[in-house]
Amino acid sequence: MRLIVILVLVFFVAAGIVVGALNADLVGYDFAFARVQLPKGAALLAALVLGWLLGGLTAWLGVSLRQRRLQRQRRKDAGRKTAGA
Amino acid sequence: MMPWYALLPLAAVAFVLGWWASRRASARRSGAAVNELSSDYFRGLNYLLNEEQDKAIEVFLRLAEYNRDTVETHLALGNLFRRRGEVDRAIRLHQHLVSRPNLSEPMKTVALLELGEDYMRAGLLDRAEALFADLVAMNAHAPSALRHLIAIYQHERDWNKAIEHARRLEAMTGEDEAPMIAQFYCELAERSRQHGARVEARDYLEQAFRCQPDCVRAWMLTGRLHAEDGQHAEAVQAYEAAIGADIAFVPEILPPLLNSYACSQQMDRAERFLREMLERYHGISPVLALTRLYQQRDGQRAGVEFLTGQLRQRPSVRGLMALIDATMDRVEGEARENFLILRDLTRKLLEGQAMYRCSRCGFGAKAHHWQCPSCKSWSTIRPIHGVANE
Repeated sequence: MRLIVILVLVFFVAAGIVVGALNADLVGYDFAFARVQLPKGAALLAALVLGWLLGGLTAWLGVSLRQRRLQRQRRKDAGRKTAGA
Repeated sequence: MMPWYALLPLAAVAFVLGWWASRRASARRSGAAVNELSSDYFRGLNYLLNEEQDKAIEVFLRLAEYNRDTVETHLALGNLFRRRGEVDRAIRLHQHLVSRPNLSEPMKTVALLELGEDYMRAGLLDRAEALFADLVAMNAHAPSALRHLIAIYQHERDWNKAIEHARRLEAMTGEDEAPMIAQFYCELAERSRQHGARVEARDYLEQAFRCQPDCVRAWMLTGRLHAEDGQHAEAVQAYEAAIGADIAFVPEILPPLLNSYACSQQMDRAERFLREMLERYHGISPVLALTRLYQQRDGQRAGVEFLTGQLRQRPSVRGLMALIDATMDRVEGEARENFLILRDLTRKLLEGQAMYRCSRCGFGAKAHHWQCPSCKSWSTIRPIHGVANE
């Protein structure tokens, strides 16, 4: 299983290098407040990485906040039960 | 120039993929943690049930490290340490729990109660007393704290405080503590008797009777006070009342009762009473007492005949020994030697025997105790009925 994962990773890294090499020409981006010139491949990679990181961060924040809320609730319930007993 | 939002669809796809991967990873992580926690918990429980406390402690220690907020795990650990005799560790753990600033009030009082028990086990009775008194004042776990306080006062033989707290416990729980309070008064009466304060002793006995009118110990002490004052007729009445209150105490009561019968010259009454006891009580003590009485009144042969007849009905090693002693004078030569061996054998057999047993915890004792030395309950030690005992 680990070998397959390594092979897939190597394939994607190689594909990235090939695509990057084939699209080395610069493209310009206008962000209204700034204009930047980036290689096409780097721009693609940046968009992918940024999107992945933002997605991961959103999911992690959602899960951890919900767990904390649940823990607080449970502690409150336990305190009430012991006080009742 | 390429507009930057041309990359947005790609970023959106990456966002969804990243979100999905993160959710999957966190679900796997929390699931694994829950599984690990619960499996550890059940493993610890299993060790506890198998009486493997060392391993249980190991598991619970790991659980406590995993989640430092779990008060229950710490309490269980402290309890285990105390039961294993590692009182210093239990004390440290419970002290740490009590000093936590964010601990809820109910949990804090539980930890205080546990800490008090640790102090009791460690013999630091003054500290335990202060803690339990605080708990009673706070009205938190008051019945348990009061029971521990009563145990401390019993240990310190501070019977007045024990009575005061037993009455508070009675009022709080509605449970009948009168037999225990009667025993405390008997302890006070016994102490006064030993110090020569006979009037005070009688007052305490009166209080004991007020708590428990059929208190055997109070009747026995009353009989003893009368006998010491030379009032043997009254002593006989008190001792007879003691047997009427609880017939199980016949072996304890018969010797002083017979002495009072003899001093008040009521041997006919003694015979009548012992004959009645033969019907009601199935131990060997009344038989032996009657044998002695017949030996003194009607001669050795009458005593031996009575004893032989009774031993056929209720075989007993103590009876056999009395029979050997009674017939020893009439035997000579080789038979006498054999009788001596038999007497030594029966004596050794009786020496190793527990004559009394606690009906609550099974503690065996050679002498009678009003309070069981093992489980500390009152009036539960009774004579053992059997061939080698009563």
